[in-house]
Amino acid sequence: MSDHPLSELERDVAHMIIDALELEDISADDIDPQAPLFGDGLGLDSIDALELGLALQKRYGIRLDSDAEENRDHFASLRKLSALVAERRTD
Amino acid sequence: MSSPRVTAPELQLLGWRGWLPQRAGRADSGAIMTDERPAAAAVPAMLRRRLTPMGRAVCELLSELDIGAGEVPILHASRHGDGHRPLDMLDTLAAGEPLSPARFGLSVHNAVLGVYSIAAGNHTSMAAIAAAGEEFEALLAEARGYLAEGCDSVVLVLTDSPVPARYRIDAPEYPAAVALQLSLRDQPGSRTLTSEPRDSAEPAPITVAQLVDWLTDGAALATRAPPRRWRLAPAGPA
Repeated sequence: MSDHPLSELERDVAHMIIDALELEDISADDIDPQAPLFGDGLGLDSIDALELGLALQKRYGIRLDSDAEENRDHFASLRKLSALVAERRTD
Repeated sequence: MSSPRVTAPELQLLGWRGWLPQRAGRADSGAIMTDERPAAAAVPAMLRRRLTPMGRAVCELLSELDIGAGEVPILHASRHGDGHRPLDMLDTLAAGEPLSPARFGLSVHNAVLGVYSIAAGNHTSMAAIAAAGEEFEALLAEARGYLAEGCDSVVLVLTDSPVPARYRIDAPEYPAAVALQLSLRDQPGSRTLTSEPRDSAEPAPITVAQLVDWLTDGAALATRAPPRRWRLAPAGPA
């Protein structure tokens, strides 16, 4: 359980991550919204980054340019990713 | 002058494990696992999440055979591989939808052994085979090659999976897997494979379930090529 409760949108995005990446035995509340998603935090890899890009497109209608430098920031944490969704969602 | 008769050295079965989820509650051998979704506890969760139950089963069988890391080559033959996974991707493409990168990455025939290799830190020779219904025969031929080259033992893995109904040609109703460790040397508890010519009737492709039955109940197993009937000698004194 994270020390930081999730907002409704963060919970929604966390569920998208868990479903899209088929994470085993992880619930939304296990994800610290400020911890890194890749590497040391949740431990996602580069295929997950591609998979998340696809999930964002399907779930929220957000298309990311795969080469864009700012993707690194968008994918930094659950909170950052949720901020992207809040700003750019088209669903 | 008669030419010398060439015979291949006899194969010895050192051990085996099977996965037959359709026999849940009915399997009476400790060598047969029936969990619908095997635990594959030796595979880290972040790798394991991308495997189908069949892939998890293969990793589980291999860790149960306890072959160490680096000595024993592994051969995996499967007629239809992961069945639905790669074929469903064709539907996705036909619908003009983007493919899942993770599923695409694991849609190749050698993907399961690749994940096993990473998880187990095992960098021995591994090969994936599809042989249009003659998978077990192909495994035996490949195994002979490795053993002739001097390998002490080889693990053969045979799996198969259901496929979407419109493709169905001899595909099984349930996924299944079996792994056998073969050698040219015997050891306490090992069993010898013996064979004799079979009649000319062409047998149906060897299924995983059939192979497991052969390993457990002593019936004969007919291969297409070479056209022979195989028996397993009972276990010797342990």
